[in-house]
Amino acid sequence: MSQVAVAGGRAAWRDRLGTEVQPATARLDARRALQLALAGIWLLDGVLQYQAFMFSKGFSQMLAGTAAGNPAVIGRPITWDAALVQHHLVLLNTIFATIQVLLGLGIAFRPTVRVALAASIAWALGVWWFGEGLGGVLNGGASPLNGAPGAVIIYALLAVLLWPADRPGASAPFTAARAVGAHVARALWLVLWLSLAYFALTPANRAPQAVNGMIAGMESGQPGWLAGILRGAASLVAHQGLAVSIALAVAFVVIALGVYLPRSTARVILVLAIVVSLVIWVVGEAFGMILAGGATDPNSGPLLVLLALAYWPVKASAAPALSPSAEGKAA
Amino acid sequence: MTPAWLLDILAALMLMVAAISAGRLVAARPWRPGAVVTDTDVSHLLMGIAMAGTLAASLTTLPDTAWEIVFALLTVWFTVRVVRDARANGVRALAGGHCAPHLVHSAAMLYMFLALVTPAGGGAGMGAMGSSGSAMQTLRYPTLAFVFALILVGYTIWDLDQLSGRRYATTPARVSLARVGAAVPVLAAAGSPPAPLPAPPATGLAAASSTTSASASADDPAVPDAGRPEPGSAARGLLLSPAATIGCRIAMGATMAFMLLIMI
Repeated sequence: MSQVAVAGGRAAWRDRLGTEVQPATARLDARRALQLALAGIWLLDGVLQYQAFMFSKGFSQMLAGTAAGNPAVIGRPITWDAALVQHHLVLLNTIFATIQVLLGLGIAFRPTVRVALAASIAWALGVWWFGEGLGGVLNGGASPLNGAPGAVIIYALLAVLLWPADRPGASAPFTAARAVGAHVARALWLVLWLSLAYFALTPANRAPQAVNGMIAGMESGQPGWLAGILRGAASLVAHQGLAVSIALAVAFVVIALGVYLPRSTARVILVLAIVVSLVIWVVGEAFGMILAGGATDPNSGPLLVLLALAYWPVKASAAPALSPSAEGKAA
Repeated sequence: MTPAWLLDILAALMLMVAAISAGRLVAARPWRPGAVVTDTDVSHLLMGIAMAGTLAASLTTLPDTAWEIVFALLTVWFTVRVVRDARANGVRALAGGHCAPHLVHSAAMLYMFLALVTPAGGGAGMGAMGSSGSAMQTLRYPTLAFVFALILVGYTIWDLDQLSGRRYATTPARVSLARVGAAVPVLAAAGSPPAPLPAPPATGLAAASSTTSASASADDPAVPDAGRPEPGSAARGLLLSPAATIGCRIAMGATMAFMLLIMI
């Protein structure tokens, strides 16, 4: 830390200028860097949950709305949960927000990384059901442009793939394979992106004005520059619902298969995945509606980018820079 | 509205940060020859007081204009520091250096005071954020608030990782530039040409401790003599440790991100 003198003339000022020793930064390996990014998104999530809107009835109504169209076995617990939240709004929302903040801080704090990642999986599954109605997967409302199959399930997926353990044997071809192995990691990627391709082609999403309506519906409350982008994008896809759905589905299938291709091709396709994810985040999700206020999370865009980075091919000989203990063995 | 008690808790946390920073300034014993005072402690002290006043109206101290001037000066100060840091150490100073996070904190505070929009019927000034019954305050240019919040969250997470990775010692590591000279290129640039970067220490804790004992404890009056421990030297050591500063920075960064996001 830089320091300044507190008294004396100009010469004394210079003599008394000091610093605290600045130790070298520990080199991060790719998995730890991705864990920190995940921690940052959890922390952002938690802070967003403290917004004024979340302490209003609008929050419980939003929860109740996710029950619509779901089978009774899924929908009834959501309705019960929404009623409970409505009755104890301040207390429960404070607890929800604090849990998410603690998950973020816990993942960033090395001794607690395992506990926090495990807790984040349980929490994410709970929120996927009670907070997102399984992401609209069962009610036909899921769209890859608005966060299907539920942004929060991608948090759980990332927690599994970034678990701080290494499988014995052959070195992992990419970071996501280190904990679960290359076969399982590739299969999870395939399922996720093929599901997005499927959701892109559902009747609700391929209707002529479906994409247009979704994008145009997010304009309200956005800053001028973002509203302009959304307006332009909406007019671009007006009456083009089927064409957009097919284009998206093709892109998603290519991305899904990309991790099975040779390293150089896989890199190109992962770049495509990152670009598509960013386009979805900006145009399809409007940054999770954060800039319009009342957003519960940044939605799926940044998580998909993080996921793609976890599948980025690495050199086979690359050794982890941090010892396992540094990544949470102590926990 | 975000509950007032939540804002009060955060205001108390910020007062605690301000108290720790004040304690660090006093513990540095600035009245003794050779003592040094960190500009980060001064900035933490000011920010803690300003943020407490922003979160709880009853803790408001200075008018908004005064705070705008204070944070404009701090922003300029840390900008100069960062530029010097970057000249000496390259752009990596932005990620690993100490001044860049403080520049972001100062700039975010300046933005908050300048961009505040108080709706009709709401209380006047930043302090009204915590006043019960007032209309919700918002910030102009919400994109900037979001960008600041993202960077603050990023630095908070990074600091926590580095703190738990023992990059920052829990023993004092203050040294005068006059003693270490070229060994501290970041600030050596302030009074002399940039010096080459020294070899990185073996580990953060060991290196910080050894460097402190080698260059500071030996003859720096600000650091107690190793052979004659002073009463309360352990507590003073912990207070003056880099870990204490980083802990304050984590609390401040997270709280600032909270304030920015709830006012979007």
